[in-house]
Amino acid sequence: MNERREKDVIISVQGLEKSFGKNNVLKGIDLDIRNGEIIAVIGPSGCGKSTLLRCLNCMEDPTGGSIYFEGEDLVDTKVDINKHREHIGMVFQQFNLFNNKTVMQNITLAPVYCGLKKIKATKRYNRTVKFKNIFRKIFGKAPLSQKAIEKDKTAVISEANSRAESLLKFIGLEDKANDYPSTLSGGQKQRIAIARAVAMNPKVMLFDEPTSALDPEMVGEVLDLMKELANNGMTMIVVTHEMGFAREVANRVIFLDEGIIAEEGTPTEVFGNPKSERLKTFLSKVL
Amino acid sequence: MEAWDIFYKQFITYHGYRDVLDGLLTTVEIAVLGLVIGILIGTLIAVVKVMPKASVFPKVIEKICDCYVAFFRGTPMVVQLLIGYFVIVPSLEISVSGLVVAIIIFGLNSGAYVSEIMRAGIQSVDRGQLEAGRAVGLPYSVAMMKIVIPQSVKNILPTLGNEFIVLIKETSIVSFIAVVDVTKAFRSIGDANYEYIIPYLMLAAIYLVLVLGITLLIRLLERRLKRDERKA
Repeated sequence: MNERREKDVIISVQGLEKSFGKNNVLKGIDLDIRNGEIIAVIGPSGCGKSTLLRCLNCMEDPTGGSIYFEGEDLVDTKVDINKHREHIGMVFQQFNLFNNKTVMQNITLAPVYCGLKKIKATKRYNRTVKFKNIFRKIFGKAPLSQKAIEKDKTAVISEANSRAESLLKFIGLEDKANDYPSTLSGGQKQRIAIARAVAMNPKVMLFDEPTSALDPEMVGEVLDLMKELANNGMTMIVVTHEMGFAREVANRVIFLDEGIIAEEGTPTEVFGNPKSERLKTFLSKVL
Repeated sequence: MEAWDIFYKQFITYHGYRDVLDGLLTTVEIAVLGLVIGILIGTLIAVVKVMPKASVFPKVIEKICDCYVAFFRGTPMVVQLLIGYFVIVPSLEISVSGLVVAIIIFGLNSGAYVSEIMRAGIQSVDRGQLEAGRAVGLPYSVAMMKIVIPQSVKNILPTLGNEFIVLIKETSIVSFIAVVDVTKAFRSIGDANYEYIIPYLMLAAIYLVLVLGITLLIRLLERRLKRDERKA
């Protein structure tokens, strides 16, 4: 059982520290995120919830510790962070849709870019193989074989478009495909931002207070979409003030206080039977 | 009426208009190419300035950019033209026409100004736009080129238009390095008979028409970009 658990870990955070100047925000966070888990991060404002989340995809560079994702330490600056960010989706409090792109372009921009990047990499590899084979021939070695290009440019683009269309249908906004973000409501923007993250087929998704900037009546539609994602088995880490959502959907709740994980457990444990005094006072304020 | 007759004779009979048209072309050429070079250089410098700097190398580059901006903003353009044409070109022992020198100097000069305009434009775009781009796996350069800079250009278009107008008018100094622009052409017409009233008023009118035309163009462009944002 234990061994299987180890295998399931997607992101392993060890001793994560982050300070802004003299201000130590995170003081050693240890956290294993397992496949299919939905983790809610709660805590008073200024306790480092968002910083923790933003460290997980190196939006903020951690000042200490390590984050293992797919066998590589993301804190190491030699690691190609862009490659890993493709697999770590992120949803922001302020939506951050690209204002100069249509809804459709918002969703397809990154998949198309990454698809074309792979084609370019293959072509480059093939060129070096051609070059190396000249020498291998001279020295009587067997020539290296070229890599096949699986998808050409048009296939990449049409695939991204059809995926974006199905995602828009999934979130019920297919009629907005050619609109610009400035014409949409907050809830619609956030749903599209989620679709944009999902379009990259991420292994894990980070939600940074996804409903905090929304009008109360729009919170529901975004939470519903997140629940649907959760039911489809997406691994999610959600920084949230929606205690109802945390209680209902999360498998694990983490209470962050003054830069450390003060308490963690299942929602029933954390909400039903809080151990520390801090969590008790926090819950009494927000519930 | 005498002044008009003299001007007419010089302008039409002695083909003064040909020089004026050539000069007009030169003026526009220098301003347009100068602005294009300026925007390219300016964008590059602006990106260097707003880039997060982790290592020493970008810091050195930034210092070099600072020196460049300080020199081109801190000295008059006439002086830069003179240095370019009479100091740098001869010392490199290359044969370059005054027009090319003028275009390069105007480009370098406007690059210094555009870099500051661009920097303000980039900083006017919400940080979240860049972060969102990076979060889906785009490298810094791609996120900048595809998301941040297009949005910042829209914000700074009026200021860029201003820069273009300044450039058009500043081209009147290129006769210092023996380039015949529209100012020089009219001055020659006036010099021929020491009759300056009509040539110089006409010159002013031509600049005015040019600038008003550019203003109109920029306004149209601005409206187009704004429309893209508003409606599908």
